[in-house]
Amino acid sequence: MSTGAVGSVTATGRVGRLPAFARRPLLLGAAGLVALCAALVAGVALGNVSIAPGDTLALLAHHLLGWPITVSWPASAETIILELRVPRVLTAMGTGVALALAGATFQGLLRNPLADPYVLGTASGAALGAAVAMLVPIHLALLGFGLMHLLAFGGALVAVAIVYRLSRLGELNSLTSVLLTGYAVGSLLAAGLALTMYLSGSHLRQIFFYLLGSFSLSSWQQLVIGLPVIAVGSVVVISRARSLNAFLLGEEAAAHLGLNVRRERLLLLGAATLITAAAVAMSGLIGFVGLVVPHLVRLVVGPNARLLLPLSALFGASFLAFADLVARMPGELPVGIVTAVVGAPFFLYLLRRYRAGYEL
Amino acid sequence: MDALILPAPKPAMGRGFSFARLTLVLLLVMAALPACQATVLAPQPTDQVPEGGWPRMLVDDEGTTIEIAQPPQRVISLSPANTEIVFALGAGELLVGGTDFDDYPAEAAALPDVATFTGVLLEQALALDPDLVLAAGNNFTPPGDIERMRELGLAVLVVYAETVEGVLADIGLIGQAIGADEAAAEVVDEMRQRIARVEAATSAVPQRPRVFYQIGSEPEIYAPAPDSFIADMVVLAGGEPITTADPAVFSISVEQLVAQDPEVIVLGDAAYGVCPPAVGARPGWSSMTAVRNGAVRPVDDTIVTRPGPRLAEGLAALALAIHPDADIEPPMAGTSLCPEGLLVR
Repeated sequence: MSTGAVGSVTATGRVGRLPAFARRPLLLGAAGLVALCAALVAGVALGNVSIAPGDTLALLAHHLLGWPITVSWPASAETIILELRVPRVLTAMGTGVALALAGATFQGLLRNPLADPYVLGTASGAALGAAVAMLVPIHLALLGFGLMHLLAFGGALVAVAIVYRLSRLGELNSLTSVLLTGYAVGSLLAAGLALTMYLSGSHLRQIFFYLLGSFSLSSWQQLVIGLPVIAVGSVVVISRARSLNAFLLGEEAAAHLGLNVRRERLLLLGAATLITAAAVAMSGLIGFVGLVVPHLVRLVVGPNARLLLPLSALFGASFLAFADLVARMPGELPVGIVTAVVGAPFFLYLLRRYRAGYEL
Repeated sequence: MDALILPAPKPAMGRGFSFARLTLVLLLVMAALPACQATVLAPQPTDQVPEGGWPRMLVDDEGTTIEIAQPPQRVISLSPANTEIVFALGAGELLVGGTDFDDYPAEAAALPDVATFTGVLLEQALALDPDLVLAAGNNFTPPGDIERMRELGLAVLVVYAETVEGVLADIGLIGQAIGADEAAAEVVDEMRQRIARVEAATSAVPQRPRVFYQIGSEPEIYAPAPDSFIADMVVLAGGEPITTADPAVFSISVEQLVAQDPEVIVLGDAAYGVCPPAVGARPGWSSMTAVRNGAVRPVDDTIVTRPGPRLAEGLAALALAIHPDADIEPPMAGTSLCPEGLLVR
């Protein structure tokens, strides 16, 4: 992505796109697909334990395509590939799609370049929910989801619902109010999280690692529930791309364009929150993806949401799958550390390179 | 958890807020629930002792029943204590995987690492093809990892002791699980004798000093909670433990310490560089009897707090720190602690 010369200033003032991709979003889309396939192959082929590529291919062909291959691989290889790696890579991709889409949506909707999927209290709500779940002596497992996942999911939704109600987001021109309310509610929930962590005793380590995000416990059962939620929410968000474009002009202008501002805002907000909550429930709090991936795509193709949303989803998926691969090669590094360490410098580099500026 | 005192949510915060309020109340109630948790985790006596035959049904310390079809040949240990126990039972050659903090016996460090501080490396655990996994309870091995390993078909025995007696029971339990019943009985018997000798020696000393066992001192002073494992050890070693007074609280204020005035301070964090001179120099500490009398003594916390076969030696070390003149055979040479001096300034 970082090839090509510095973009030139265009008549509209939008600058800094990579010329090779600027008028060819399809090309960028193809590059994204290649990256996604590479992430899938690498994510399944590599890991903490090395398995011969031949064995991996043979057992995949045997199980997925039904080829009659004589079993020459150890039984553990089968479990590692089919029960650990494949669901893990797919979970990372689903989470990447959800976070990148939610980030792009919140940035556009709130017209705030610093917005990320967690801006309206999702993160603190989910974190508090997960932390409280660890203190509750109830052992609950529902279709691969423990109490922690359920309370994280619920906490994220409840936090955003509270922010929505308190900020009177139902009314027009309330962007500052919603951001400030989100911040205030988030701070209150963070205080609750701190108290819960203080009281958590031996659970502290789990809460800590949950806050840094991980895919180490991904399973098919989780994926079967989580992925459809993300898919539905993503389709809703992407199908509202035109509305999101209108919101970029400001809510009043959007209303003048004939947009049903309240309904569209609720739809976009609701879908983005839903997919964030699903992602958080599956894999904890993974920072940076939702903030940076939409900006990277925007630097290349500009702010048109009809391009921005699908491309963000594509690159979010491959970025997180690669980040998870880096995280699990040495052991089980929390993936949130990898996304920040890899993403932040790259983002800075791009910002400096295209410092002529760009608009949301 | 009794310390959870929060102001009740204010009523009358306007219409439409009841949902949020309800949520907060629910969260608070749920946060208060774990008070009832402690009893659930207490070690279960394994009274269904199998008569030496296989398959064996064992109940682990979390109450899960697991079936072990035949004597395990490939065992993974997920805690240093479990590793030590397996070696002490003379079955070290059964171990195919351990943790990255195994340090005793020396050959344990060479085991492939299956558990790290972050959790279990599931791929490694599967690749080693174990027929028994010895996990540790009370969140030492993350519960999610235990669940996932069981889903993937591994036999996982969870071990967790809250008392010295519980550690002895766990050694017996692991002995049954790996088919080393007799060796376990021997190890437990030997430990019991050693503990009894320590108890006899300390009970010969008339006074039971107030003992503060310092677990850690950065950023706060960490003390044993009441009825915790360390408090239990201090009682067995002939001391009166100074605790945090609340099972859910792990730190203690210097004010509290000054008020309770320890007669002996045992430095459980000596292996991490905390030594008597520095302790005596802390503001406010010089008024404590232990500091004034120079009764601030380091111990090797690995043997005192690790719930493994060296615990009886740890008890001896702790008893000697509390009663230096008691007639106790000194423990096996451990790490040399506090080379810069044992004297309080």
